[in-house]
Amino acid sequence: MRKFIESVKKEFLVLIRDFEGLSLMFIMPLILVFVITLLQERTYETVNETRIPIVLINNDMDSVGFAFTEGITNDDFFDVTIIEEADSLQMEQSKDDVASGKYQMGIIVPEGTTKSIRNRVLALVNQQVPAMMNVDTANLQQSVLVDLFFDPITKDSFRNIIKSNLREFSSKIETRIVFLTYSRIIDAMTNQTTEINYPEKPVIEFDEGYVCEFGQIDVPSSVQHNVPAWTLFAMFFICIPLAGNIIKERYDGCLDRLKTMPVSYLTIIVSKLLVFLMVTILQAAVIVMVGMWVMPFAGIQPLQLGQSMGGFVLITVSAGLAATGFGIMIGTIAKTYMQASTFGAVSTVILAALGGVWIPLYIMSPVMRQISQLSPMNWGIQGYYEFFLRDAGIINVLPYALKLFLFFAGCVCIAYFYKIIKNKHIA
Amino acid sequence: MEKTAYIEINNLCKTYIKGKDPALDGLTLSINKGEIFGLLGPNGAGKTTTISILCNLIKPTKGYCKINGFNVEKEFNLIKPLIGVVSQEIAIYKSLTAYENLMYFGSMYGLSKKELKERIGYFLEKMNLTKFKNEKIDHFSGGMKRRVNLIAGVLHDPELVFLDEPTVGIDVQSRRVIIDYLKELNNEGVTLLYSSHMMDEAENLCSGIAVIDYGKLVVQGTPKCLIEQNDSKCKTLEDVFLQLTGRNVRDYF
Repeated sequence: MRKFIESVKKEFLVLIRDFEGLSLMFIMPLILVFVITLLQERTYETVNETRIPIVLINNDMDSVGFAFTEGITNDDFFDVTIIEEADSLQMEQSKDDVASGKYQMGIIVPEGTTKSIRNRVLALVNQQVPAMMNVDTANLQQSVLVDLFFDPITKDSFRNIIKSNLREFSSKIETRIVFLTYSRIIDAMTNQTTEINYPEKPVIEFDEGYVCEFGQIDVPSSVQHNVPAWTLFAMFFICIPLAGNIIKERYDGCLDRLKTMPVSYLTIIVSKLLVFLMVTILQAAVIVMVGMWVMPFAGIQPLQLGQSMGGFVLITVSAGLAATGFGIMIGTIAKTYMQASTFGAVSTVILAALGGVWIPLYIMSPVMRQISQLSPMNWGIQGYYEFFLRDAGIINVLPYALKLFLFFAGCVCIAYFYKIIKNKHIA
Repeated sequence: MEKTAYIEINNLCKTYIKGKDPALDGLTLSINKGEIFGLLGPNGAGKTTTISILCNLIKPTKGYCKINGFNVEKEFNLIKPLIGVVSQEIAIYKSLTAYENLMYFGSMYGLSKKELKERIGYFLEKMNLTKFKNEKIDHFSGGMKRRVNLIAGVLHDPELVFLDEPTVGIDVQSRRVIIDYLKELNNEGVTLLYSSHMMDEAENLCSGIAVIDYGKLVVQGTPKCLIEQNDSKCKTLEDVFLQLTGRNVRDYF
C-alpha cells in the first residue's frame, strides 16, 4: 500500500510541476467554455433578441396607422423608425434605405386605411340593418394595400412572420371597429349609452414549455449545453498529458528502472490513473462552478443543476475513467510524444464533433445521429443532459455510465494486449 | 578460496530484427561474487543488450542467465530485491527534487520512511549533494544528475549493481566521486557489473574484464593478465582493446 501511496504522491508532484500540461487541462477548457458559450449566446440573441431595424411610414394617421405604430414599437423584435405623413420623396428615400441595408424592412400604411376598414364594416352592417345605417354602400372602398418592402437578404420565414404580425394587428383593429359599430347601433336601438371597456388582452393565450419526465424544467440554454459538452472535451483532452507522462517515463528510462524494482506495473499504472481521474473530476467541478457563478458576470445566464448529485458524480467519474483509459491506451501504443499528442488531439476533436460537443445532436442528420452514438462523448453528453435538463438520478444515467465504463475497460484491455504482443515481439 | 559464480550467462543470443546481424551471438560468461567486472566493447558490441537481458528488460532469443542461482527470465521477482541498476540514461524524474526522487525510488524497495531518510542523508552527503537536495533535477549539472542516478540504484543496499556507462559525459571531479564510491561499495562486498568505453577507468577499477565484439566474447581476464598476454607493444588496456577489436570506427543501426 505504501508503494501505491508513494506512486500517487510522485504522480501528483510530476503533474503539478508541469505548468503547460496543467494549462492544457484547466485554462484551455475554461476559455473554450466561455468563448463558445458567449458566441452561441450571441447567435441565439441574433435570432431572438437583437432588434431588427425597420421603418414605418404612417400616412393613415388613424386607428390602423396608430395600432401598427404602437404594436410594432412595443414589440421587442423591432427597432422602429416612424415617419408620419410622408411625402413621395420621403417614401422613396425609405425604400432606398431598405435597399442599402439601413433597415431590413419598410412598411407604408397608406392614407385612408382605417377609413377603408370602417367602410367595409359599414357595408357589412348595412346588409343587416339598412334602416339604421342609411349609407350608400356602392361608393365604399373595400380594400387597401399596405406596402411592405424588404432588404433582399431577408429570408422568407422572416417575411412571413412580419406579414403574419401585421395581419394580426389589422385583424384586431377590424374586429374592434366591428364591435364598436355594432355597439353603437345597439345603443341607438335601445336608447342608451354604454361605456364598454374593450379588452386589450386576448381570451386565448399560450402556455409554452419543454416536456420532461421529471416535471417542469428550465429552458435549455447554450450554457446548459456547452458546460457539460466542453467539460467532456476537457476530460478527454487529458489523454495528451497522460500519454505524454507514460511516454516520457519510458524514454527517460524511469520505467525500466521501475521494472527492475519489486513493484508491480499495475501499481505504477493505477497510480497514474487515479491522479488523472482526480484531475478530470476537478476539471468538471471547476467548469461547472464557473458556469454557475462566473458566467453570469459575462452576461450569460447561470448554469442550473439538477437535484440528484449522485447522477452527476456517477457520469463524471465514468467519463473521467473513459478519458484516462483512452490516455493510457494512447500512451502505451504511441512511440513518441509527437505521435501521442497528434493522435490524441485529432481523435479527441473527432470524438467531440461526432459526440455532439460542437453541434447539438438534434441538428445532425439522422445518419450522423446514428454514427454519433459510437462516440463516448455522446454517452457523456446524454448522461449530463439527463442530469442538467431532466433532473435525472443515478438510475437514469446508469446506462450511459456503463457504456463509458466499458469504453475504459476496452481501452485498458487494448493497451494490455498491445504490451503483451510487443513484449513477445521484442523476445 | 575459490569464489562462486554469482552471474552465469550461458550461450546468450539476441536478434532484434530477423535476418539482421544478432546483437548477441552465443555469449557465455561467468562472474564471481564480490567482483567489479568490466564489460568492454565498441559501440554495438552488445554490452547494453547483455545488461538489459540480465535486468529482464528484454528477453533473449536463445540461452539463459542466472543471478545468484535464480533464472532471470523465470524467477526475476526473487532477483529484484538483490539488484540495483544504474542505467546509461539519467533515469530519474527531472521535475522532482533529488530528495523526492530518492524517497520515491527507495520506497519502491519497501524501505521505511525513517530508514530512507537516514540513507538518503548519508548518500547525499557522500556525493556532495546535501545542499542541493531540494533542487529540481532539471536544474542540476550533468555530473550532479549522474550522482543522483547512481544513488537511486544503490539506495536499497543491493548485492549486485549493474552500471551501464555510469560516468559518461561528466567532469573529472564527478567522475572521481563516482569511481571512489564504487570502490568503496565493492569493498563492502557488493558485486558490480560495469560497462564503459573508458579504458583507463576500467583498468583502474575492475578486477575482471570481458571484451565483447559482434555479440561474442573476445577475451576474458584480469586487466593485468590481458595486458601481459597480448603483444608486447600493448602497454595499457586501451592498446589491448584496439588490438582485439580493430581500429575501424563502428557505426551500427
